[in-house]
Amino acid sequence: MFPKLLSSQTLIYHLILFFSFSLSVNYFVDLEFFNFLSYAIFHLTLIYLVFYFFHFSLIFISFLYGVFFDIFLIDYISPHLISFLVFVFLFYYSKKYLLNFSSKTISYIIIGVTLLMFVLETLIANIFFNYPINYQNLSWLFLTSLIVFFPSLFIFSKIDKL
Amino acid sequence: MALSFKVKAISRSRFLRNVFLTSVFILSFLLIFFSKSDYFVVNKVKSISNNYLHPITSFIVSPVKVISHLQTQFYDFRNLQAENNILKEEVMRLKKWQALAIHNNSENKVLKKLLNSTDSNLTLVKTASLVSRNDFMFSKMININAGLKDGVINDMAVVNYRGLLGRTVDTSVGNTRVLLLTDPNSSIAVKTISNNNYSLLQGGDDGVHLVSAFSKDEKLPKVGDLVVTSGSAQIFPPNILVGKIVEIRKDNFLVLPFVDFKNIDYVQVIENK
Repeated sequence: MFPKLLSSQTLIYHLILFFSFSLSVNYFVDLEFFNFLSYAIFHLTLIYLVFYFFHFSLIFISFLYGVFFDIFLIDYISPHLISFLVFVFLFYYSKKYLLNFSSKTISYIIIGVTLLMFVLETLIANIFFNYPINYQNLSWLFLTSLIVFFPSLFIFSKIDKL
Repeated sequence: MALSFKVKAISRSRFLRNVFLTSVFILSFLLIFFSKSDYFVVNKVKSISNNYLHPITSFIVSPVKVISHLQTQFYDFRNLQAENNILKEEVMRLKKWQALAIHNNSENKVLKKLLNSTDSNLTLVKTASLVSRNDFMFSKMININAGLKDGVINDMAVVNYRGLLGRTVDTSVGNTRVLLLTDPNSSIAVKTISNNNYSLLQGGDDGVHLVSAFSKDEKLPKVGDLVVTSGSAQIFPPNILVGKIVEIRKDNFLVLPFVDFKNIDYVQVIENK
């Protein structure tokens, strides 16, 4: 019934999503880098999944992850939910044009959207809930995303060939 | 016939998709609105996610927890010699303080008897241990393994052996989330010990210091003054150690909390007697 949803590749991506989500919401004081890494990987994986394995259920999955990220990291619902849904809806309505691009352009779009989502989440948390913009954390996230971007794309392409 | 069936199927599917998209949009809007207005539905969602999803995520990351624990043990072992010397000095210093404290305590008892004063002591509701931390990136919160079944309710003060940590915010049956003092949305009424200078403290931008948001008196306190809870906001009992003033600015001052928020293991939930 849901062949695209339950194929071996998407299952692996969903496992990566859940594992990186779990790592992101449990803070390790001595291994802070793991938290940044998993947070960046979660965003990259979600965007990659939406681009290459889009299924209608992904809207609901993004909704759930958005709500739970907000509850665990902020205690108020908004920043992650809004940024995930904005991205998924924008993709849904513009996928006709986006999928005409080359894979190289799409990979640049993926990293661009990831960085934009970090900024959007931080801005919403700042405007709605008074959380100050922590430039140090934001630059760590940018740096981590840029570092893991190519290795994760390489791994994703290997998963796609499974 | 076949064509008509195909058209119907597509239109139904489109209709369902539109209904689905609209319902996700409405649900998101409602959740955001309820979250802002602190409606009970959102509290229920929070409680469910704390009770059911959080244990799963904790279990999944348990190998990383083990690595983190091993790393801490390794660093502790490496610093054993230096730490031992520091502790020896501290023991000597504490022995002097202990003698002074015993003397002051007996003097205090006699004075209380003379003045016929009543004790405003605290009640320990529950001693709990840290389950997990959620203070990555945005809010500064921790989870402890005590909840409604232990008598813990929202807005109770949480302390450890160093001083005030924060207050309980989301209480479920077996778990409670504690909003730490360093969270920008946390606010506590405090006073200085030396001259009873009343003010409000909020979490600073750096996530380490507390910043005064409002001072009752116009004159600012001095660097080095100790800050305790004033008890005027009713949530925190009075005279619990909060921190030390480390910097005075033009309009406010910075307080360094006594609690080491990076090393929290056991905490106590307390309330006024």
